[in-house]
Amino acid sequence: MSKQTGKRSKVRFGVYMKKYWQLYAMLSLPLLYLLIFKYVPMIYVQIAFKKYSLMESVWKLPIAANHGWEYFIKAFSMNDFKYALRNTLTLNLLDLFFGFPAPIIFALVLNELCFPRYKKIVQTIAYMPHFLSWVIIYSLALQLLAPNDGFVNMIINALGGSSIPFLNEESHWIGTYIGFGIWQNFGWGSIIYLAAIAGINPELYEAASVDGAGRFRKMWHITLPGIKPTIVVLLIMSLGNILGGGFDRPFAFQNNLVMRVADVISTFVYRVGIKGLQFSLTTAVGLFQSVIGVLFLLIANYISRKLGERGIW
Amino acid sequence: MKKKLVSLFLVAAMALSMVACGSSDSGSAAETPAASTDSAATTTTDTKTETVAEPEVASELTDGKFADTRKITVEIYDRGNEGGSDPENNMYTEYIKKGMLEEHNVEVTFKKVPRWTEVDDINNLLAAGEAPDICVTYSYPTVLTYAQMGGVIDLSEMVDTYKSDLPNLWNWLGEQNIYWDKDPKTGTIWALEGRRAEQQRINTFVRKDWLDKLGLAVPKTTQEFEDMLIAFRDNADTLLGKDASKMVPFSVSYDIGWRAANIITSFMDPAISDKEFYINGFDDRMVTQTSTKDAVKLLNKWYNADLMWKDFALYGSGDTTEDDMIKAGYVGAFQHNWDYIFRNGEDGINANLKRNIGEDAEFIAIDCFENSNGKYAKWLYSRAGDRKLFFPTTNTEPLASLLYLDFISKPETVKYLQAGDEGVTHEVLDSGAIQIIAAEGDAIQNSGKNIDYTITCNGTNFGDETLAALSLAYGYAEADPELVDQANKIAMSDGLDPKNVNVGVIEAEAGVGDTLSAKRDQIYDNAVVASEADFDTTWDSYMADYLSSGGQAIMDERAAKWAEYFGDADMLP
Repeated sequence: MSKQTGKRSKVRFGVYMKKYWQLYAMLSLPLLYLLIFKYVPMIYVQIAFKKYSLMESVWKLPIAANHGWEYFIKAFSMNDFKYALRNTLTLNLLDLFFGFPAPIIFALVLNELCFPRYKKIVQTIAYMPHFLSWVIIYSLALQLLAPNDGFVNMIINALGGSSIPFLNEESHWIGTYIGFGIWQNFGWGSIIYLAAIAGINPELYEAASVDGAGRFRKMWHITLPGIKPTIVVLLIMSLGNILGGGFDRPFAFQNNLVMRVADVISTFVYRVGIKGLQFSLTTAVGLFQSVIGVLFLLIANYISRKLGERGIW
Repeated sequence: MKKKLVSLFLVAAMALSMVACGSSDSGSAAETPAASTDSAATTTTDTKTETVAEPEVASELTDGKFADTRKITVEIYDRGNEGGSDPENNMYTEYIKKGMLEEHNVEVTFKKVPRWTEVDDINNLLAAGEAPDICVTYSYPTVLTYAQMGGVIDLSEMVDTYKSDLPNLWNWLGEQNIYWDKDPKTGTIWALEGRRAEQQRINTFVRKDWLDKLGLAVPKTTQEFEDMLIAFRDNADTLLGKDASKMVPFSVSYDIGWRAANIITSFMDPAISDKEFYINGFDDRMVTQTSTKDAVKLLNKWYNADLMWKDFALYGSGDTTEDDMIKAGYVGAFQHNWDYIFRNGEDGINANLKRNIGEDAEFIAIDCFENSNGKYAKWLYSRAGDRKLFFPTTNTEPLASLLYLDFISKPETVKYLQAGDEGVTHEVLDSGAIQIIAAEGDAIQNSGKNIDYTITCNGTNFGDETLAALSLAYGYAEADPELVDQANKIAMSDGLDPKNVNVGVIEAEAGVGDTLSAKRDQIYDNAVVASEADFDTTWDSYMADYLSSGGQAIMDERAAKWAEYFGDADMLP
């Protein structure tokens, strides 16, 4: 770059800022938010490598044993952590496998409905569960599915069957957990797909009709390809979250009988780290979780770009 | 061009974040509570000793009073009772606040902590640096964990230095409770142990009216108890009519180790050595004692014979579902705190049964789980070793806090808090005994005899032991004194008095208390619901998990400490 252009861009920068400074002023607020709540807390990541004490400044803490890796070694030697890791992966993969297609299918179906009023009602009802907290959903589940006085099991018993252990047997519990996850989220998740569908050029459908395409042909050849970029972006983001996941849902659904399949990393961190006051250990686990999450994200992004789709950056 | 601008902006943001890092460092250093607290405390005492013109007292008190008003916060359990009084603000808190201000010039604020999740909650408060100045907990491992991080004040010097200012505390707790947790090597005291005025722990309750209806005698042995449960199950139609499907012959919660404690204890070898009991005794629910597996096997048999509540493991701590079932009259028998059926006045279990089912519907306490010596052995509470009172280092008023403990241990205070006003909370009978009556509004005692306020004293005391013994049976509003008296006698008969083995800190116990308690419940719950064929494998696999998660390390360290202090003796000296 020549000196002249450098000078010119400086001048332009001044002019540019003068013109648009309001926009940047507005941007500063969200940036400040990110800074304070997402970046500043990262200072404390170092706790993972130090022997934590409540009373000391984080900078003055002594480095943990094994060159700071003590807590990572400890985590990987704990049975509970291995269970939690396995369960997080299993539950999240199942969620992805069954839960990811659900909103897409729902959006497609909804898009085909021809009575607008009916469509609106269905849509609203489907969104509702999203606004319920997991604690409430679990109490609903208890009322419905408890082996002794759950409504569903009472019907089954009255019809002469025997109770199905939806909540108190490991494999059934996984089904219940995944099922409620899908139920809570498919309506809300479909919004973004509906928006994407709305953006598809209607001429394409008209042209397809002229060519004699039926409902399913149009869905397959126009709607789905039309929302493919959205699907890919969301898929990448879910893959980045494969070791993450919320805390409320597993925590609300856990009970002593299913802990071996129900304990996930977030609840493990809460139980062992925060309740057990082993802050260095939990930070180590959290750091590990984030690093794996970023790796998954990068890999998914790379693959998607290789396959000719747009990545998320 | 645009990209360049964005990157410029990002660089600026980065630079800013660096600045923020630097400043937050200095910020957190300044916030370090221990350092700042310590220096503040020393400076105030220094200035005070200079100004106060009574060098022989060497304290900042004049006639037990501070010159300037001090402020302390005190933990109070919130039991969330339906229709109870506000735990932070009622007739009794007013009494305490007024008394403390008049006698010591200390302003008291209460801070409520949910009773049934107290360990979690106090952990969170401690971690956030927002714990009350005076903390109460049943969990010593919690205290120890924080003490090892430097988060708890060592009371060993203060209790001796200010002994003359704390006559009631010393008088009530005595050396036994004050020095109970004194480390034999370092001499530190992280917590004072509250004292139990009563030692009864757990009773077995059965529905008397069901026994009568079926023409059964009160069971006297484990076998008879089992036969009774079977009779309840088989006669559900007679006993419950259209609600027959809701019949629960024997009810437990997820906390089997508590709710079947007397069954578990009856399987223990009566000749067990102190050494064995101590080494396997980290868990107060006895899960690692060798005899416990056989006891749980019996429960497993009952569970598979439809004698127990199927949903017990689904409800967590503090959930009222099971209590509601008991109150609705679906439950035939259960084990719980010795006075559980009498608690809470009109909302109590027996009171509810009388109202909902009929005059004769009631639970009574029975004794039927005999051990191999034919005794109804059951653990009692230790006289000492009750609630642990400790001051976190965020407490800047340790002396004022000790004065609070002294005030709360004073016989008059105990009497007022436990008995309230005559005509409002109690009546005096002709014998002189105190009969607790159902109070209303601000005068409601959320815990029996307000034990949540009398933190140094657990159980009926009234500041006068003779009066307390005389009044024990009249301590529950709406309860039949004869039944209470009977429950009290059964709870004490053949009772085992626990012993204190003080060998200092067991390092392996720090930080694992909660994890191991959760695992212990998993062992119990899963073993009970396993099919009879799978019982052994289930028990063994969950137990292996417990041991490898820190349980074995604790036993090994306890064994080593026992050898260090007592050599190869099997019993305590």
